[in-house]
Amino acid sequence: MSQQTTKGGAVQPGPVRVVLVDDHRMFRTGVRAELTEAMAASGIPVCEFVGEAPDVDTAIQVIRAEQPDVVLLDVHLPGGSGNGGVDVIHGCFGVQSRTGAPVRFLALSVSDAAEDVIAVIRAGARGYVTKTIGARDLITAIRRVADGDAVFSPRLAGFVLDAFGAAAGEIAEVDEELDRLSAREREVMRLIARGYQYKEVAKELFISVKTVETHVSSVLRKLQLSSRHELTAWAMNRRLL
Amino acid sequence: MPTPYEPPAALQRTVADGAAPVGPPGPGGAPGSWYPYPEPAPAPRYPYPEPAPRPHRPPLVRSRTRGWTPGVCAAVAEHLGVSRRSVRLTFVLLTLAGGAGLAAYLFLWALTPEGEVAPDPLSAPTHGTAPERRQWGAMLAAGAVLVVVGVVLLTPVLGGSVIGSVLVPLFTIAVGAIVAWSNLDDAQRSRWLGSGAGRYGWMRVALGAGLTVAGILVLVTRGESLTAVWDALLAAGAVLVGVLIVSAPWALRLWGDLRREQVAAARATERADIAAHLHDSVLQTLALIQRQSQDAAAVTRLARAQERELRSWLYAAGPQGSASTLAAAVTEVAHDVEDLQGVPIDLVVTGDRAYEPHGAALVQAMREALFNAVRHGGTPVTAYVEIGPSGVEAFVRDRGDGFDLEAVPTDRLGVRQSILGRMERHGGTARVRRRDDGTEVELRLPPIEGGAS
Repeated sequence: MSQQTTKGGAVQPGPVRVVLVDDHRMFRTGVRAELTEAMAASGIPVCEFVGEAPDVDTAIQVIRAEQPDVVLLDVHLPGGSGNGGVDVIHGCFGVQSRTGAPVRFLALSVSDAAEDVIAVIRAGARGYVTKTIGARDLITAIRRVADGDAVFSPRLAGFVLDAFGAAAGEIAEVDEELDRLSAREREVMRLIARGYQYKEVAKELFISVKTVETHVSSVLRKLQLSSRHELTAWAMNRRLL
Repeated sequence: MPTPYEPPAALQRTVADGAAPVGPPGPGGAPGSWYPYPEPAPAPRYPYPEPAPRPHRPPLVRSRTRGWTPGVCAAVAEHLGVSRRSVRLTFVLLTLAGGAGLAAYLFLWALTPEGEVAPDPLSAPTHGTAPERRQWGAMLAAGAVLVVVGVVLLTPVLGGSVIGSVLVPLFTIAVGAIVAWSNLDDAQRSRWLGSGAGRYGWMRVALGAGLTVAGILVLVTRGESLTAVWDALLAAGAVLVGVLIVSAPWALRLWGDLRREQVAAARATERADIAAHLHDSVLQTLALIQRQSQDAAAVTRLARAQERELRSWLYAAGPQGSASTLAAAVTEVAHDVEDLQGVPIDLVVTGDRAYEPHGAALVQAMREALFNAVRHGGTPVTAYVEIGPSGVEAFVRDRGDGFDLEAVPTDRLGVRQSILGRMERHGGTARVRRRDDGTEVELRLPPIEGGAS
């Protein structure tokens, strides 16, 4: 994997340029050290840290200056108008990475609260992982988000199944329906909630990894655009807080 | 009465024992008996007064659901534990003896709060709209009659006698005040304050005010001409405006201070709440960690348990520690296993249903599966439980070498009895799948009969 192709088809040379936004210095240092170590062990320099920021305003400056491919974004941050990661995403609207693709955000959080996660995803983040994620999984996630795919943690998949009523048996009749999941999307989400990697999901459902990625991206799109009551209520609560 | 904080017994024991030996429990060992760590404080003790115990006599509150009177007599009777009739009689007698009863009645009416009173089987509550309407109608009719009386009294011709000139206006004032006040006192205050408001409410206020003003004027003018009444009215209005202007800044400041004080008090209470919780949970755990800092496994376990407790305190919506639903029970079991083995479990639960024997069997089977995954498998251990209308599905997955069910000796009861047998007895199924990188246990239960999900 020396050269990766972005979704737009442009060839992206070299490692993924990453900006790390978190208000705890210890955590930033830890993530950097862990990822660097993991990449050294595997011998593939998947990503490169080009900047860090401890709060919303610095983050926006750094991202605008560095034009990274991926921003690892904490959900809870000081500064801005008080909405943490959501403010950063709004503040960086339209910023492009050096390859011309939009800057992509991967939310990294300790919070289990649905409204936090949903708010940052609906603001435009491409994925959500918890801070307990292992270094190798995080590298895979960064790679995936840089390629324009979506990254769902088991917990986020669980939220999605709940929020779209899929756990209660609601299934979309046509795939394009925004307020419900299609049967296939539901299967994919269920397997991710069970802790399956994308390639395991693919094997289980006899589809390609690319198809799994397509399904997950489609669920992400629904999550961002749906006007389902549960989702809008969450977003609303977040704004009112 | 603030309760001084005492650490739970389990915690005291641990501190006294120092670094207590921590080992895996025997296969049949009761987990609670050897586990030396404090339960993650499910019910923190707060160092401020708890709700007062139920008093011997019921509180002095009025119930508005009973009838069209303010309910003062009933409240007093209930409070003192005497019959309502005797209370009413007392009030009437006192009223006849110089009006003290009336004064006391009005005083109690003004000061007794409204509240929920235990339903009285003897007097049927006047719920519903139809009786209410009738009540309103009667009230309005009475008011109208009184207005007419007041207007008639305003004409000086009829106001000759003492009764006409003093007592009737006094009576009119009283009735007017009652009609106006009773509006504020109504349990359906929202009806006239809110959007749907009401004509009734405003009519009542207007009627009351009109009656009162008429009564006062009659009393003051004592049959003087209408010009005098007009002059008096003007003078009174001027004085009122003057008082309003003078007192407005002062009243506003007082109101502002009051609001600020209320906000500060609320904030202080909240802070005390948070401090109490942190003291009982996080600080205790940190103390334990310091004492056991050599034992890395114990520290990890303590940190993990504390993290989870804090997290559930911060984010959980409902009450904790009560396995009243299946989702809560599953979560509790996963946490137990996590605590006992010190291995994190990624648990995701969607949906929920009531906790019943079949669900309990699933929870027990899942506990066994989690134990197996944590002991024999490798991390990460993930568990997913989906509770839906088509039944319950639970998956426990680890990344170890896996085990072959056929290869498990028959004397090992864990998988066969605890998981497979148990699920079958409760109408469910269990399956152990060996995967490339680990094992997955699948448990399934049909929906609860009767269709409740």
